[in-house]
Amino acid sequence: MIEVKDLTKRYGETVAVDHLSFRVRPGVVTGFLGPNGAGKTTTMRMLLGLDVPTSGEVTVNGRSYRHIPAPMCEVGALLDAKAANGGHTARQHLAWIARAGGIPESRVASVLDLVGLTEVAGRRVGGFSLGMYQRLGIAAAMLGDPDILILDEPVNGLDPEGIRWIRGFLQQLAAEGRTVLLSSHLMSEMEATADHIVVIGRGRLIADTSIAEFTRRSTGSHVRVVSPHAARFAPVLQGAGAAISHEEHALIVTGLEADRIGALAAEHRFELHELAPRRASLEAAFMELTQGSQEYQGARSAATAVAPGVLAPTRMEN
Amino acid sequence: MTTATISANTRRMRGAVNRDTRFANTLASEWLKLATLRSTYITLGLGYLLSVATSAIVGIALGSTRDTWSGDISPITASMVGTVFGLIVYSVFGVLTVSREYASGTMRLTLTATPDRRQVFLAKLTLVTAIVTVAGVATTVSMFAISQAVFSATGMPTASFTDGDALHMVLGLGLAMPFFPIMGMAFGMLLRSTAGGITTALGLLWLPQIFGEFVPTWFQEHILSLLPSNGIDSVTVSHIESTPAYSAPLLGAAIAAAWLLASVGAAYIAFQRRDA
Ligand SMILES: Nc1ncnc2c1ncn2[C@@H]1O[C@H](COP(=O)(O)OP(=O)(O)OP(=O)(O)O)[C@@H](O)[C@H]1O
Ligand SMILES: [Mg+2]
Repeated sequence: MIEVKDLTKRYGETVAVDHLSFRVRPGVVTGFLGPNGAGKTTTMRMLLGLDVPTSGEVTVNGRSYRHIPAPMCEVGALLDAKAANGGHTARQHLAWIARAGGIPESRVASVLDLVGLTEVAGRRVGGFSLGMYQRLGIAAAMLGDPDILILDEPVNGLDPEGIRWIRGFLQQLAAEGRTVLLSSHLMSEMEATADHIVVIGRGRLIADTSIAEFTRRSTGSHVRVVSPHAARFAPVLQGAGAAISHEEHALIVTGLEADRIGALAAEHRFELHELAPRRASLEAAFMELTQGSQEYQGARSAATAVAPGVLAPTRMEN
Repeated sequence: MTTATISANTRRMRGAVNRDTRFANTLASEWLKLATLRSTYITLGLGYLLSVATSAIVGIALGSTRDTWSGDISPITASMVGTVFGLIVYSVFGVLTVSREYASGTMRLTLTATPDRRQVFLAKLTLVTAIVTVAGVATTVSMFAISQAVFSATGMPTASFTDGDALHMVLGLGLAMPFFPIMGMAFGMLLRSTAGGITTALGLLWLPQIFGEFVPTWFQEHILSLLPSNGIDSVTVSHIESTPAYSAPLLGAAIAAAWLLASVGAAYIAFQRRDA
């Protein structure tokens, strides 16, 4: 269980994380979403004790990361897959990390096998592709067989096969009862992977819900109704609280669920030719929710572009 | 891969022993990190070879031109001319042990595996000191041995280890070798940059040479003598060569210690407090 409580982080003028609170529960994959610069990586760094919060706290199983006696055995993390010394082989890279955590060296071969890197274990990581780096990073996170996994944009730059592999892998980990938190700025990636999502924008919590709930709540969901009696049906629907717009021969109804619309049609004896609930794609729902924070980001980037002295805030990679 | 295979792969190690992040593990990990890198051997080997080769070549040059110069050349001091190359390269090594980790991003891996930063700091400090002490003594002893062989072959006066001055200087310079590399490590930590760390460490090393003897004596006595390189040289070489920029050996030791403490202390505090 990860608990973020009223967490705030400032870098000078920039408020990267702003009074953020949420929990990550075991047994499901939790997606951590937000546009670029929303504060996902910063939150994860604070979770791992790398950055110190300006205020608030984040705990892992009830205590702060720095106070876990054997942290690698409790939490596995992948922040930046490319963080490796290019001169080390995959095996050597994992060996020094394992040694630091007091993890037996035999584990290195196991995790290499787990992520499918056994064949390149003796190759220098400097020549690895992005996909191989991501697998290596996951191998490092799995060294201590942790019950909690934290992954920052693990599918970034992966080909479809790699994405499929990571998805399956994470879902299996969650099915084993582990806590899995992975970040992304693409909603579409989460649709197939996560069960639950935490959405942030400009460092603040926007949503903390199941994926299904998230889509349903979004105003982009509507029901398409085709009826020869549309002209008489529309005022009835409006009377029941719906908002109506017209699209060729169809009525686009928002604010009423399909079952309610069907019931109203039956009650008033209107013939229906089509009654089709249309869920907004997650991407659309996400865009709508985070629009404010993206506009803010855009405006600020433009401002920094004309003022060369303040280029630092545009470096959002770490 | 099925659920069963992940479980089988991972659950096997439950209950494995020695999973703490204790200091022995941190030290072993830092050692492994360096010992498995080819660049470690290249850097240290380069420092050693450049130093020894320089001393040998200067010895040959001195021997073949000895009719053209007058006055004494100490076979002890002359054998140590290569030291500066060792110092430069070993200092770069000191900077790199830290700056490379910031550049590649592995510092975050290191600190995630070992959240207690005191441990990481101490392990790095211990390793840089130990490695460069061994390399330093090996370098000065080899320079001395090879130079005496050259001097004797060219009919110049030679010195031997049993000569008290020689032992003092050879061991003194060798044991003092980690001084700048440790400061280099500290600057690497403070600046988090290879270029910045190297420039600062070498700047302090070379300042006296840059100003050298062009400045008035009072400036040498009161300003240059306070620089770390002159502080340490006052301990190691002032018994053979003297300039107004050297202090009494004890004072020199105090000056050098003050520089070391200040830079290492500042690096320690920064490493503890700053976001990684
Ligand atoms: N070390 C730092 N110094 C100064 N500002 C920082 C630092 N780290 C992050 N920021 C700022 O904090 C904000 C949040 O950044 P963060 O990297 O956490 O976002 P993110 O959600 O991970 O974005 P992305 O999807 O692009 O990875 C950004 O405005 C960023 O510029
Ligand atoms: Mg990020």
